[in-house]
Amino acid sequence: MAGPPPPNFQPPGQRPPFPGQPGMGRPGPPGPGGPPTPGQAQFPRPAGAPGLGQPLFQGQPQPGGFRPGAPQPGGFLQGGPGGPGTPGGQPPRPMGQPGGPMQPRPMPDGFGRLGMPQPGQIPPGAPQPGGPQPPQPGMPPMQRPALPPHMRPHAQSPSSPNSPNAPLVDPATGRVPANFIPPVSGTPPPPVSTAPPGSRASRRAYPQSDPYGGGAAPQNLDPFSAQQQGGSPDYGRPQTPMSAGAPQLGGPQGGPQAPQFFTPGDPQGPSFAPQQGGQFGGQQAPSFAPPGGQFGAQVPSFGGAPPPQHQQQHTQGQWGGQPAQLQTGDSMGNLAGNFGNMSMGPGQPQGPAAVNLLAGPPLLTDLDAPSPVSWVPPQSSVSQAPTSNTDPKYKRCTMNAIPQTTAMLAKSRIPMGLLITPYRHLLNGEEPVPVINPPQIVRCRRCRTYINPWVQFVEQGTRWKCNLCFLSNEVPTFFDWDPETRAHVDRMKRPELTHAVVEFIAPQEYMVRPPQPVVMLFVIDVSYSAVQSGMVATAARTILDTLDAIPNTDNRTKVGFITVDSSLHFYNLNPNLSEPQMLIVSDLDDTFLPMPYDLLVSLSESRAVIESLLQRLGDMFKSTQCVQNVLGRALQAAHKMISPIGGKIIVLQSTLPNTNDGALKPREDPKLLGTPKEVTLLQPQNPFYKNLAVTCSPTQVSIDVFLFSAQYADVATLSGCAKFTGGSVYFYPNFNAARPDDAMKFANELSHFLSRPIGLEAVMRVRASKGIRMTAFHGNFFLRSTDLLSLPNVSPDNSYAVEMTLIENLTTSLACFQTALLHTSSNGERRIRVLTLAVPVTNNLSDVFGAADQFAISALLAKKGVERALTSKIEDAREALQYKLHEIMAAYKQSFTTSSQATQLLLPENLKLLPLLTLGMLKNTAFRATSTVPSDLRSYIMALLYVFPPELCITHTHPRFYALHVLEPQAGLPGEDGQIMYPPRLNLSSEKLERHGLYLLENGVEMFLWVGRAVAPELCKVLFDKPSYEGIVPGKTTLPTLSNDYSTRVNNLIGKIREVRIQMATCYPHLYVVKEDGDPALRMWFLSQLIEDRIDASYSYPQFLGVMREQMGKISAS
Amino acid sequence: MTGEALLFLFGIAMAAVLLFAMVFFIIMFSDLECDYINPIDLCNKLNQFVLPENFAHAFLWFIFLISGSWMAALLNTPLLIWHINKIVNNRHMFDATEIFRTLPTHKKESFIKLGFYLLSFFYYLYRMIVALLNES
Repeated sequence: MAGPPPPNFQPPGQRPPFPGQPGMGRPGPPGPGGPPTPGQAQFPRPAGAPGLGQPLFQGQPQPGGFRPGAPQPGGFLQGGPGGPGTPGGQPPRPMGQPGGPMQPRPMPDGFGRLGMPQPGQIPPGAPQPGGPQPPQPGMPPMQRPALPPHMRPHAQSPSSPNSPNAPLVDPATGRVPANFIPPVSGTPPPPVSTAPPGSRASRRAYPQSDPYGGGAAPQNLDPFSAQQQGGSPDYGRPQTPMSAGAPQLGGPQGGPQAPQFFTPGDPQGPSFAPQQGGQFGGQQAPSFAPPGGQFGAQVPSFGGAPPPQHQQQHTQGQWGGQPAQLQTGDSMGNLAGNFGNMSMGPGQPQGPAAVNLLAGPPLLTDLDAPSPVSWVPPQSSVSQAPTSNTDPKYKRCTMNAIPQTTAMLAKSRIPMGLLITPYRHLLNGEEPVPVINPPQIVRCRRCRTYINPWVQFVEQGTRWKCNLCFLSNEVPTFFDWDPETRAHVDRMKRPELTHAVVEFIAPQEYMVRPPQPVVMLFVIDVSYSAVQSGMVATAARTILDTLDAIPNTDNRTKVGFITVDSSLHFYNLNPNLSEPQMLIVSDLDDTFLPMPYDLLVSLSESRAVIESLLQRLGDMFKSTQCVQNVLGRALQAAHKMISPIGGKIIVLQSTLPNTNDGALKPREDPKLLGTPKEVTLLQPQNPFYKNLAVTCSPTQVSIDVFLFSAQYADVATLSGCAKFTGGSVYFYPNFNAARPDDAMKFANELSHFLSRPIGLEAVMRVRASKGIRMTAFHGNFFLRSTDLLSLPNVSPDNSYAVEMTLIENLTTSLACFQTALLHTSSNGERRIRVLTLAVPVTNNLSDVFGAADQFAISALLAKKGVERALTSKIEDAREALQYKLHEIMAAYKQSFTTSSQATQLLLPENLKLLPLLTLGMLKNTAFRATSTVPSDLRSYIMALLYVFPPELCITHTHPRFYALHVLEPQAGLPGEDGQIMYPPRLNLSSEKLERHGLYLLENGVEMFLWVGRAVAPELCKVLFDKPSYEGIVPGKTTLPTLSNDYSTRVNNLIGKIREVRIQMATCYPHLYVVKEDGDPALRMWFLSQLIEDRIDASYSYPQFLGVMREQMGKISAS
Repeated sequence: MTGEALLFLFGIAMAAVLLFAMVFFIIMFSDLECDYINPIDLCNKLNQFVLPENFAHAFLWFIFLISGSWMAALLNTPLLIWHINKIVNNRHMFDATEIFRTLPTHKKESFIKLGFYLLSFFYYLYRMIVALLNES
């Protein structure tokens, strides 16, 4: 310790008003971003800090993605020719002028997702963006309605489009192919029944494009056109009534391509038409019929009045946290029934209903489809309660039917695993987990399984048979008899028998010491860059404002502060002091604490002193010039301080720790990026932080890391602290609190982080039925035994993945997985959260495929991919991901397809998005082959993917993409349940981008607002409060809240997305405005999210399918 | 007793020690599998012995080399290279966070080394006896 405790702070009189930023303190609505207040002006941007709106990807010249030199048949980039814009460099179509005879307006969506603009859809008072155009009087009614996206009821066989008259006009979009001669108005066009099957596709549509150099426009012809050339008439689904109809053939095929060429309203459109017709053998024309047989087929059943709510409810269901129990028993019964039927299906090659992937673009409605609650009817549980199986949001298995034998599991090639989010934050409207306090916690004597709804009562109910190890145990008397009221009770009403997710209050035996209080120790970097970026002031202000929200039942919560630069500063926060005392330790040869007590104090008792400290923290180091940082030593001291109790160390770090133990070198080397050696930058550069985490884990100390850096932050090394202690990593590149967006993001996240409920000193154990063994675990934890995860703190955001395998054949009809999370809740109770999932066992391979959960598989593979990338190479991870997909498809093909289907690329209905999700992963920032992603960002995204629950994994690999210039009447407004409704999702392809369009893309971590070059000035006015496109500033933005309906709705949407993200992942996504001709790096960043397109050297989705199909060709069908 | 016999007697002793070290490693690994010990303790315990074991083996190899027992030195060279390679790549220590993932590899390695030390034990014994017989 260096000398005596230094004097107190400046006298109070000197205290300037706190330099706060507006709205930073609490998570407020993303309200008026407002100009920086005088307070913010105190944080001038450090020299060299990039300007406002600098994108995350600095100077990212994405080579190859859209090669400027390459012939671009349809890229919208070159002035948007060919794409959704006007082909052939047409001058922009005048706004609001119908281009074609039939097209009321250009619709970006060829797949029937966007409704026709109806008069009511346009916000009153807001001029319709993008060329408002009332429906043409002559328009056939079929064109008008938006199609409900959930074309298929869930349990329904996917291949049963039930309408023979698929209209020629896409009923969803109201779009008519430009090459199609409009039918007589008022009558639905007759189905075009046959396309000349043999007609050769000469691919004139892509005349100049070399298949790989084509740039932005999806080069999606290969697989499709290959199909067409084959001319096989039956690659729709043979059993559909539409099978002969061209719409089925053509629709899917033409669907994706057409929008590129036939810009509705493009005067040139018709001139293309004859060519097109010829090339595609006339299939092109009908191709504008509903994409996917299902779409069209459903139309009539909805009549002309589509219920838009239907669709929105579904979207909502996932977002707004409608519990999956929404699925009524009825529908579950259906599922179960379906399942049963499937099992009874005759013959081996009778696989689950298959979908030909080459038949068209992926249907995004399926992404939002609620996963089936369970393949086991709840009636088969002892209590028959609808809640007797775990909600997939808590726990889901990659297989909803477990193969009975090891051989079958090996044959299916589907990875068996669980994704568990045990402590997840409840979204609005979700039922809390029942908490019970039984006199005794009933567990199996042998395997220690907790009693659950899937046990069996035997011997007249006097004993229960464990559903994991099948041992028979005694039922305690209190199950039937309440000794207090001396009355008989119904055991089937007990929550542990009716709920699959239940929380027991644990008695003494489950404690090795009294439950610990919540402890939060802040380790704040106060070196030059931290102070200059405004991080310290923002953090202090946020913590100050959040003090009330920190979990603090019984006033037991303790907090402490350490600030770090080249020395350590401790704070004596004794409640009897009027001012906090700062103790500086600059002798860093050894870790020691300057005082044995009063450094970690009770939040309630020392509240005044803590507030006084926080009020001044922002200014205390204002004039610091110190650029050194001894984080390593600070963490050791912090650990020493709280290790007797356990708790949370919150690291706020802006400078790379550069002296003493744990010093890190700035090792970013752009030359390594994109090479096999890149992985060395993603691995920790020294084991110090990992070892520190390993010592923290047994003392119940968890470390959470917030990194702010203008330069290299070494996320890879510092995230090791969080990874092995159950913590989380937050990363704010180029943080500058003078930008309201940065300050808002950080303040909201920190505030939610501090106030969310946490579980302390936890262990989690996963048990499974006899014969199933856990082989690997993924997530942020320390593995203490083969199946015991040590979690010093349980974060509600973190999800854990378990890989499993069969070690022997299963003998029962149900396989059960039980996860028990023993933790101390933030109110000081020792609790056990038990989650029991029951999954049927099948001896039919077709059930295994038919019941696989593509989202869980994809999320599990993402986590495995991250681990693979970090232990080997990123390239290996990509190969492994692709190979796994290949294996699954090959396994399916070998088992279920006939040789007549050899030209198709088949997957069961429930796995059909797997290729898309895999492609999304291959193109994700975490795995993409590119030299433009800084290693910090890549490490951060990998760390996120490693802990994200499946829903977020999916959103991150397949972002949500909405068109905002054609908002539906309800979108952006509260629906029936009070939740904001989302517009329908678009396919992630640049062909959806129209020149006058405005789009929102959200990937769970960031949001992008794409503004087309020809956007209507009215739209700029109502949304951005700017006169025209030129006035819009690209980059990080907060949209102004304007008093018009359109602005309200867009802000509602953004607010809703942020609300959900902050609840699910403590993430407050930035909103980046991307202009079509704006900053190229930002634009490329946005375009790299459009995963159906080519990016860099990667495949477009159709190309990817083509590659898959080629590989499949080598495998013989059964 | 001549130098060669003494040398191999020393070799026998060292091989026995290394043999026991490997048995200890294997027992500890199975303890970990049975959850009798937690990975942090295990790694702390085993890591103490890793370098001494490697040095003991290197020392034995060195003694064989300078005493001109080419055959014995040659036999030990592959293992020596393996050890050096691990140390150079910084993979010789056990990592508590990875131990469950790498446990099968560690066990396999320990078993192979156990077998090797056992064989070399008998080889040294044989050489010692031969040396003693040559003396008499």
